[in-house]
Amino acid sequence: MSSVAEFPATEPAFGLYVHLPFCVSICPYCDFVVYAGADARGPRNRIEILVDALIVEIGLRARSGGTAGRADPARRPLSTVYLGGGTPSLLPVGSLRRILDAIRTAFGIAPGAEITLEANPGPDERGDPAAQAAAGITRLSVGAQSFAPAELKRLGRRHSPADIGLALDAARQAGIRSISLDLLYDVPGQTLDSWADGLERAVSLGPEHLSLYALSLDDPDAEGLTGPGGDHLPPSAGARRWRKRARPEQDDDRAAAMYHLAVHRLREAGFLGYELANWALPGHESRHNLGYWERRSIEAVGPGAHAFDGRVRRWNAARLDGYIAALLPGGGRQPSLPPGGEEILDSTSAAAESLILGLRLDRGVPLTAFLEPPFMDAFDWAVSAGLLEETGDTRVHLTTRGRLLSNELFARLI
Amino acid sequence: MKIPQERLRNFSIIAHIDHGKSTLADRLLEMTHTIEARLMTSQVLDSMDLEREKGITIKARAVRLDYLARDGRTYGLNLIDTPGHVDFSYEVSRSLQACEGAILVVDAAQGIEAQTLANVHLALREGLTIIPVINKIDLPSAQPDVVIEELENVLAIPREEVLLASAKEGIGIDAILEAIVERIPAPKGDPDGPLQGLIFDSHYDAYKGVVVYVRLASGTLHAHDTIRLMASGVESDLLELGVFRPQLVPVQALTAGEVGYVATGLKSVRDAQVGDTLTNAKAPASTPLPGYKEAKSLVFAGIYPLSGDDYPLLREAIERLHLNDGSFTYQPESSVALGFGFRCGFLGLLHMEIVQERLEREFSLDLIASAPSVQYRVVLIGNRGTLSVDNPAFFPNAGEIEAVEEPWVSLAVITPATYIGPLLELSTSRRGTFVGLEYLDPQRVLIRFELPLAELIIDYFDQLKSRSQGYASMDYEEIGYRAANLVKLDIMVAGEPVDALSLIVHRDRAATTGRQLTERLKELIPRQMFEVPIQAAIGSNVVARETVRALRKNVLAKCYGGDISRKKKLLEKQKEGKQRMKRVGSVEIPQEAFLAVLRIDDGAGR
Repeated sequence: MSSVAEFPATEPAFGLYVHLPFCVSICPYCDFVVYAGADARGPRNRIEILVDALIVEIGLRARSGGTAGRADPARRPLSTVYLGGGTPSLLPVGSLRRILDAIRTAFGIAPGAEITLEANPGPDERGDPAAQAAAGITRLSVGAQSFAPAELKRLGRRHSPADIGLALDAARQAGIRSISLDLLYDVPGQTLDSWADGLERAVSLGPEHLSLYALSLDDPDAEGLTGPGGDHLPPSAGARRWRKRARPEQDDDRAAAMYHLAVHRLREAGFLGYELANWALPGHESRHNLGYWERRSIEAVGPGAHAFDGRVRRWNAARLDGYIAALLPGGGRQPSLPPGGEEILDSTSAAAESLILGLRLDRGVPLTAFLEPPFMDAFDWAVSAGLLEETGDTRVHLTTRGRLLSNELFARLI
Repeated sequence: MKIPQERLRNFSIIAHIDHGKSTLADRLLEMTHTIEARLMTSQVLDSMDLEREKGITIKARAVRLDYLARDGRTYGLNLIDTPGHVDFSYEVSRSLQACEGAILVVDAAQGIEAQTLANVHLALREGLTIIPVINKIDLPSAQPDVVIEELENVLAIPREEVLLASAKEGIGIDAILEAIVERIPAPKGDPDGPLQGLIFDSHYDAYKGVVVYVRLASGTLHAHDTIRLMASGVESDLLELGVFRPQLVPVQALTAGEVGYVATGLKSVRDAQVGDTLTNAKAPASTPLPGYKEAKSLVFAGIYPLSGDDYPLLREAIERLHLNDGSFTYQPESSVALGFGFRCGFLGLLHMEIVQERLEREFSLDLIASAPSVQYRVVLIGNRGTLSVDNPAFFPNAGEIEAVEEPWVSLAVITPATYIGPLLELSTSRRGTFVGLEYLDPQRVLIRFELPLAELIIDYFDQLKSRSQGYASMDYEEIGYRAANLVKLDIMVAGEPVDALSLIVHRDRAATTGRQLTERLKELIPRQMFEVPIQAAIGSNVVARETVRALRKNVLAKCYGGDISRKKKLLEKQKEGKQRMKRVGSVEIPQEAFLAVLRIDDGAGR
């Protein structure tokens, strides 16, 4: 990995993210680019059209190489592919196969590559794990979120706690060797007890990986992300009301206690908290996601998807219509890359980004990364405040307290 | 056209806010063709934006009207406008001194108000002829008979002298103009006598320097004279003189009895204060006109830029505003919490508000003002002398104090009788003493109190208005210093005193106020990385304590490809937030906390 002081050059894609923006129904807290209901499964269903468009984009991106449109200097097969959403497990297996075939043709997929599919546990959502495995999926990320029926209901989830176990069993039987569960904490109505119970039940199902997320109720409109070229869709009025009601039921102190509880329990169960929100049995870390924190080059396709090539962060606009119109113009016209935007990083913000992302990892960053003048004060402050500690090997990492208060440090680095 | 002295009339208009003074002035201008109807903007005399918005007249203005009277002769009427707020009573008195008569305008639906009453008394003291006018008689709620009775009871004005009008509808305006000619005496004064001109207002002009507004009491001023200001002793070759129509129109000479302006070429309005006497440097008058007083600051506050980078801008803005308004004082001060700023003295609370608003508006500044204070006299122990303190931060510790004195005011409140109870309660809760009560008419009363000025300047006026549903009005004047049992209450955050939050309180109320303040601060100071105690203390004696619990969680829940740019923006926002905070020791306090505490208006008062 490059050191902070260097200005990393563009790199051929290490991984590829594919965004599949369809769900059976939309959860009110979710900010991802998602279309649901008739848009996803009904008469106006555009899944097949989207898959056609994705395949065109995959071809175009592979030919244009780096995200800024430079030719790919030394193309190499992808080490990771991540099919995220939305609910990619909804995808008909034929479509899944077409997408993966297109990726193999355009980029190539390295032997032993990690190919992750996000799945929901509900019977009407999880699809056919055997067929998914046969198509090449090696890793499943299951949106469990909670084991408490009342919490699942409040969160607008379609599955029951029992469905989570059923989904895992089916995946195991299909031969998928790496399974992750997502759980949410700081959920309205949640107690420390229900959280401890959920963790217990999650551990007992024997997943190789766990992602624990504090529920964050943001407002992408207020952040200016939902305009015509924005990478987010505006939340519905109902979702906005839901968030407004839920926010007062969240509690930072309770959330911090839940996080501490998880740190202890999962360590006991043999998991390594390798990233601020991610735990894995050794060897089961998400290689794709590590790519983000290590600032590897990750190509991306699909509405709202974000790519990075070492110096430019690029994204596609969220709107499906514009996306499809660009890639499938019809009338014999040539397809073009979909609308979107980009941010070119200067060396200062790249260095800050590198520190911030690196510190999310358990292994932290080299001590030398803090020797740059703008970071030295922050370093001293964070060590004295008990947020950072040095490890024996001249690296520094966040303490558990430091993880929970990491923005206090990060805001000083930016 | 030169009009002889016997056909000059100098008058002003006395009215409460909203009783229609400016509208009446507009009608007089129209009827005398001073301003053509097509050029009329509403409220011509209120030329400052702020005045039009607040519906009040801040600075006096003057205008010359040429009126063809029923007797077939043309009279020169000088309307001298007066500020309509209690903070400016000295300026009002100087404007009145420049006149021989005053039109008293009273709203037919509202009746006479406290301040109007005070100004009429001022006018009577100056020997002015009063022309009583009941305005807004077109209103459905008008009760001219009740108001006439009130004028008779309160001011002994015979009912046959009262004119009825509606300035808005143009009713009764000609009768008012005739009354000005018939009832108000012409000015006296020898045109060949020694030059004496009363300065009743001034403004600063970038080209002409200080322009003073004068009423000549005697003598003649020529366009090329050298003038002297008798109180400041400054001399200057005058640049221009003229009259108000209402724009400035130069003339060659002004004679006794006339009203006009003199462009002095002076660089600071401080050199030509309202009330000073202008005379001829070559042949000066032996004595100045009576009544000159230096503008006196009653209310003091620190004014700071919200962003420390704006300090040089604030300095420039204050200097430039001061050229135009010499009635506030300023000197640099610095505060641990608020950085560099200025300690300013104002005529009153409204004056403070106006100065702050003008600085913000005319110079595009974001400002924060510390809690207003009065000037205390502190006698130190052991014959170490007396201190004048207008900033709580410099108030000595209790152990060094022999005695403290604070300024008191006499307060007149006029209110519908229904609100007597709540208003008595308000004043006693503010350490006030009741002096007396009289009925103006069956429904309305005049109540007199005496009250420490410090209690008045916090939010007394707002409270008065809210407890009387907007009906009560007030006026006050200073009545000197009285002994007080006061202590300094310090606020400490994480053990560090925060100078900008110190206040002077009555000893009996120190603990209550301390509790209210610490509770308020607890809500306003965001959680920090460690527990933060907030204490209120008198010297080393802690009277109240609250704790802001430590921050436990500030973290990005997830951070994948799509989150990085978005979350960086969020972190940048947090960073900007931190930069706007004031560091006191190791604690970051948002500016809003100071602001909110300073604007404490829930009766947490001192």
